[in-house]
Amino acid sequence: MKRFKATLLAILFMIPLLYACSEGTDVVESGTYQGTVDEVEPEKTEIYVETQDNKRLELYFNENTSLTRNGETVAFDQLEKGQQVEVEVEKVGQRLEPIAVRIME
Amino acid sequence: MAEPTFWRTEVWHPLTVHFPIALLTFATIVKLLALFLKPASAAFWQKAGSFLLYAGTLAAWISLYTGDMADGVVSRKLCDPTVLKDHEIFAEYLTYTFTVAALLDVAQRYRLLTYKPRLTQVLVVVLLLVGTGFLTYAGHLGARVVYQQAGGVYVPSSDCAEFN
Repeated sequence: MKRFKATLLAILFMIPLLYACSEGTDVVESGTYQGTVDEVEPEKTEIYVETQDNKRLELYFNENTSLTRNGETVAFDQLEKGQQVEVEVEKVGQRLEPIAVRIME
Repeated sequence: MAEPTFWRTEVWHPLTVHFPIALLTFATIVKLLALFLKPASAAFWQKAGSFLLYAGTLAAWISLYTGDMADGVVSRKLCDPTVLKDHEIFAEYLTYTFTVAALLDVAQRYRLLTYKPRLTQVLVVVLLLVGTGFLTYAGHLGARVVYQQAGGVYVPSSDCAEFN
């Protein structure tokens, strides 16, 4: 019972921290941007990129998105959090279509 | 052209999301009313509200999971996915808020928390009211995704050929 009580209280105090984890995203004009990979979601082939001017871009890869490193095409699993990338995006409505993602390191 | 299967990944979210909406709304109403009832009947309604809250919170976590499944499919087709992102954020807020309320309620019900029971009951109701606010706004944003942008909706061809 004591362990259950401690666990319950620990969860209770940890939950408020979860509120800080929910971050929004930004929409930018079509163009090329440099930034850092903030999050990778392999099952959705999706990445979040934090640009140099603190915009958070949510990019869902599609069949036309090219992913390269040193000019060579690489697989999606080469993307990791913290990598420097250059992304070329096209704004369609308020959606950002990633045309090209280049890993800079 | 064949009619697409109904059991698509994105369909699990609308199938599950209406349970927390109903359960948590009724949990809030019942717990709020129970505060103003006489002790004899208040105990029954407090207990009923607690079970609605526990079931609704579990359903909210399931809906968060099915919503995440749908996101990968739906976001790619929306004209304004920022609405879906806000829907996701407020769905997370409501789930966390109702979870805190449910944990406090469990702690009180099973005597793990004995400090000022009346104050805890009021605090739970305040959390439920805040959670219901998040629930309402998340529902509004979800409706905007579906009814303004056809998120998760199969759009038949203009000649309905797949239904012949």
